Amino acid sequence: MNTETIVFALASALAIVFSLVMLFQRKPVKSVLSLVVTFFGLAILSVLLAAPFIAALQVIVYAGAILVLFLFVIMLLNLEQEAADKETRKIHFYLGILAVLGLGGLVTGLTLRAGNPPVPVGNGPFLIPAKDEIPLLGKVLFTDYLLAFEALSVLLLLAAVGALILSKRRFE
Amino acid sequence: MSPELFNVAAAGAKIAFVWGVVLAALLPMLIWAERRVAAFIQDRPGPNRVGPLGLFQSLADAIKFFMKEDVTPTYADRFLFNLAPWITLVPAITTFAIIPFGSSLPVTLGGQTYDVPLIIADVNVGVLYMFALTSIGIYGIVLAGYTSNDKFSLLGGIRSSAQIISYELAMGISAIGVFMTAGSLRLPEVVAYQQQHIWNVVPQILGAVIFIISAFAETNRLPFDLPEAEAELVAGYHTEYSAFKFAMFFMGEYANMVAASALIVTLYFGGWSLPGIAFTGVAGALLSIAVFAAKTGLFIFIFLWVRWTLPRFRYDQLMDLGWKVFLPLSVLNLLYVAILVAAGKA
Amino acid sequence: MNAVEPMAVAPAAYLTVGTLLFFIGMAGALLKRNALSIFLSIELMMNAANLLLLTYARMRGDISGQVIVFFVIAIAAAEASIGLAMFVALFRARSTVDVDKINLLKW
Repeated sequence: MNTETIVFALASALAIVFSLVMLFQRKPVKSVLSLVVTFFGLAILSVLLAAPFIAALQVIVYAGAILVLFLFVIMLLNLEQEAADKETRKIHFYLGILAVLGLGGLVTGLTLRAGNPPVPVGNGPFLIPAKDEIPLLGKVLFTDYLLAFEALSVLLLLAAVGALILSKRRFE
Repeated sequence: MSPELFNVAAAGAKIAFVWGVVLAALLPMLIWAERRVAAFIQDRPGPNRVGPLGLFQSLADAIKFFMKEDVTPTYADRFLFNLAPWITLVPAITTFAIIPFGSSLPVTLGGQTYDVPLIIADVNVGVLYMFALTSIGIYGIVLAGYTSNDKFSLLGGIRSSAQIISYELAMGISAIGVFMTAGSLRLPEVVAYQQQHIWNVVPQILGAVIFIISAFAETNRLPFDLPEAEAELVAGYHTEYSAFKFAMFFMGEYANMVAASALIVTLYFGGWSLPGIAFTGVAGALLSIAVFAAKTGLFIFIFLWVRWTLPRFRYDQLMDLGWKVFLPLSVLNLLYVAILVAAGKA
Repeated sequence: MNAVEPMAVAPAAYLTVGTLLFFIGMAGALLKRNALSIFLSIELMMNAANLLLLTYARMRGDISGQVIVFFVIAIAAAEASIGLAMFVALFRARSTVDVDKINLLKW
């Protein structure tokens, strides 16, 4: 029982518990906050998986920017909680639960039964170095994945412009 | 004593030292210093009744904060309303973990000499940790504004968080120049680079200016404190908070100021090093801590000085400055530093 | 921990956690009526997939997995901004974000 196992257990418990809280929460603000805690747990798991840069990125971008954007929209639109009546949706509700439990149980069971998948070790230039993986990540991003990187920047520009246009008020 | 146990004990000692110095000693002194500096600039005496030179004023303030009645607005969501100050305070006091406050201290324990680096957590993502914590701190402000169920709080909260997000960009991009020259995100490497070459403020003066001004905006200090200005928004996002919760916001703001000063000093002004002096041994370590404290204290004084000298920006002027002036300038700075690095390597 | 030593926790554990989170997100996407809650659940699903990618990257010692996760996070940011702008426009048109009430195209 070394520290890594304990940290893994705590982080995954945190992530799963708070994602369930998010699922059962009625108020949108509280579900966003539960998701923030879930992403924190996932960031801790990313650190355990030798990806501290991705963990920092998850907290900065996902938990710190995207979910803040969600909060802003919730505050701007002043959304109240979901309506209490589920009359027209009862059959859909039960079918949905059945689908999720069935498929989820099946896939989770298969994953558990499969154990550790046999994967070949990666090739030379992409091997994660022992001490610090950030220089290699930067180098790979700007050499081997350059096209995807540039396309991503264009995509982000499009998203920014598109969001501005979509949410503009039309003054008639 | 096994090395692992020693590392844990050393980390605990460093945390106790940093929190003890910063929280217990520096913050009360800072509150007193702010009021004395303000008084000096405004040509009036300032607090001078409680203790010699008014030094125990902070103690009186602390007692007042504990004794005041704790008021919660009627329709506020109680859990989130009480949680918001914690979300603001905890990131503010945890950002000190990655800042190197001295060179390494050799400790001899049981015949074996360990070299303790004077930084609490030398993670290899370095300053990204601080940006992550700033992003989390935004939640405290947004929640405080929203859950107070009060128009002024909501406006103050939204304005403040939008301001922080906008200036975070310019701050991050201008800091990239420092990391490009140092070759790493870790702050001890940045300090080592400045020890061997020159303080980063000299070749990257534009980046330094942008970073310092963005740090003012990040900590909600004048001239960027419209979200909490008295004349405009009562008290912005902490209007409805009283007693201990207000004290937490208050402390969080000052802790943010200290952390921002420490980061400016480390990134641009050489951190704990001075040009030409080698800091070795115990004496060197203590000297480096003193140098770091002096530089950080200077920048804290500049924060205080600017607050009582300049008028505040209007909100649209503030956002214009962040997006239309600082962001393009920081990208220009990045380009300039990239050319320097490429020319230097070639 | 660095990437050249064998993993202390079995990869199957990480894969199970990721799968579990994915299906919790799927439950949210299927069962909720508030459009923003559905969107939050979709973000959770994406993050669970990120966890799986990182696990495989760690097992292979290959950094490409981390690069893919980097791209997925950035794309999620772009998609979230567009999606939320659409929700804002939708709310302005129909005064609700309840997906059951957005039914103009229903036969």
